[in-house]
Amino acid sequence: MQPMAKLKPQPETTRANAVEVTGVSHIYHGRDGAVPALTDIDMTVPAGRFTVIVGPSGCGKTSLLMMLAGLRTPTSGTILCDGRPIPSPDPQRVGVVFQEASLYPWLTALDNVEFPLALKGAPRSERRERAQAMLKLVGLGSFGGRYPHELSGGMKQRVSIARGLVQGPPVLLMDEPFAALDEQTRMTMGHELLRIWDETNKTVVFITHSLTEAVYLADEVLVMSARPGRIIDRVAVDLPRPRTYQMMATDKFGQLRERIWQQIRAKE
Amino acid sequence: MSRTATLLARLAMLVVFLGAWELFPRAGIVNPMLLPPLSQVVSTLGDILARGDFREAIAVTAAEVVVAFLIAVPLGAALGVLLAENAYLGAVFRPMLFYVFSIPKSIFLPMFILAFGIGFGQKVAYATFSTVFIVIMSASAAVESVKAEYLLVAQSYGATRAQILRRVYVPSMMPILLEAVRISMIFNFTGVMIAEMYASRTGVGHMIANWGENFMLPQLFAGVIVLALAAMAFNELVRSLEVRCSRWRS
Repeated sequence: MQPMAKLKPQPETTRANAVEVTGVSHIYHGRDGAVPALTDIDMTVPAGRFTVIVGPSGCGKTSLLMMLAGLRTPTSGTILCDGRPIPSPDPQRVGVVFQEASLYPWLTALDNVEFPLALKGAPRSERRERAQAMLKLVGLGSFGGRYPHELSGGMKQRVSIARGLVQGPPVLLMDEPFAALDEQTRMTMGHELLRIWDETNKTVVFITHSLTEAVYLADEVLVMSARPGRIIDRVAVDLPRPRTYQMMATDKFGQLRERIWQQIRAKE
Repeated sequence: MSRTATLLARLAMLVVFLGAWELFPRAGIVNPMLLPPLSQVVSTLGDILARGDFREAIAVTAAEVVVAFLIAVPLGAALGVLLAENAYLGAVFRPMLFYVFSIPKSIFLPMFILAFGIGFGQKVAYATFSTVFIVIMSASAAVESVKAEYLLVAQSYGATRAQILRRVYVPSMMPILLEAVRISMIFNFTGVMIAEMYASRTGVGHMIANWGENFMLPQLFAGVIVLALAAMAFNELVRSLEVRCSRWRS
């Protein structure tokens, strides 16, 4: 019999696909009239998987993420998160981690993590307990009383992750969360994210500019073209888990990275 | 230098200043007609505080300051928020307000006298006019200090409009708004004083102007001390609130 500790926890969603995007297009109405930002996006993220989206600047990656979060409505097509459409934000189904410092500077780390629970009017003691547990999960158990300006860049993004997870959503969306960090911190944070992902069994959709980061983190990398954004390649990353820094030096890693790079470069 | 040492140095400076005020006129280094010794000013202060007309003047001035403040600050804050939130109104009116703000307000005082006389209403109207522009500008700046990311985060967690206002706008704007309150009181107080000194029948500013014209320097300095203490007390009160609301600022 297998020891209990080795059993991975079951995914929080019972559905096979945590995210299903079918034929989604988005037309952005700006000052220069209607601009197609995304055309005909199809993507499926099985529950518990780590999907990374890469693409050139302005390809509509962030637009896509906004739609997955219920912050924007697609012009056409359907989006299902955890089996249901998401017409408006629902932090119990989808948590979002934004670029850079999106923490509220006037709240302590703990209060920032509590923020989504406070909006829902959860009792104070319950809020404290859950937020503290999340800070512990991201390795900041004893930093709850610090204000954001007293935390390093990496620590701030840890707090952001804790905030995204605090309502227990099965899906976590991350919009270039480590883009502003220096290279070493970025690597460490990627590794940490994989640990958290492994412990919590979330479904992650992660946007990045960094191809190395994409290959290192992902089960599957979706490559997008320049505007209007389309998915031009789907690269399955069959490197074993847990991932290690040493894998970056392997031929396999280099080939995957090269394949993605060729796709992006060809379209620029 | 340690904090205690700095504090002691400041205290020493104050003692030197007050000591010089007492000793220089007595020693004849400065003309006691122009600068009466501190002890004489303090004893005059006791006398005038006991006088009914001076207390009445304080009450009038205080009422003018408070009423003008209560009109100018909410009015300026509302206009400032409106100009920051509405791009069209902002584009139309902000340059104009900026130009008017740069004009010394005292040159409009004769117009206020013609329109409102020299009573309570004129002091309030003129002080409101002197103050409202700085409040408008500060309130606009406060709204602009609320970053788009802050709103996006709140929206992504399903915050209602009321929650965004209370939990994002208010705490984000608070330090700048309190600073605006503190600075607007300086403008407001100055406005009331200038109006009282220029043309009035009562008020502390009027009495000070009168004492000055009649070479009653001990009384004049006593009046100055009263006003200076009132202004400093308000400033420190708001500043302590500011410090409490700004702990999160680096």
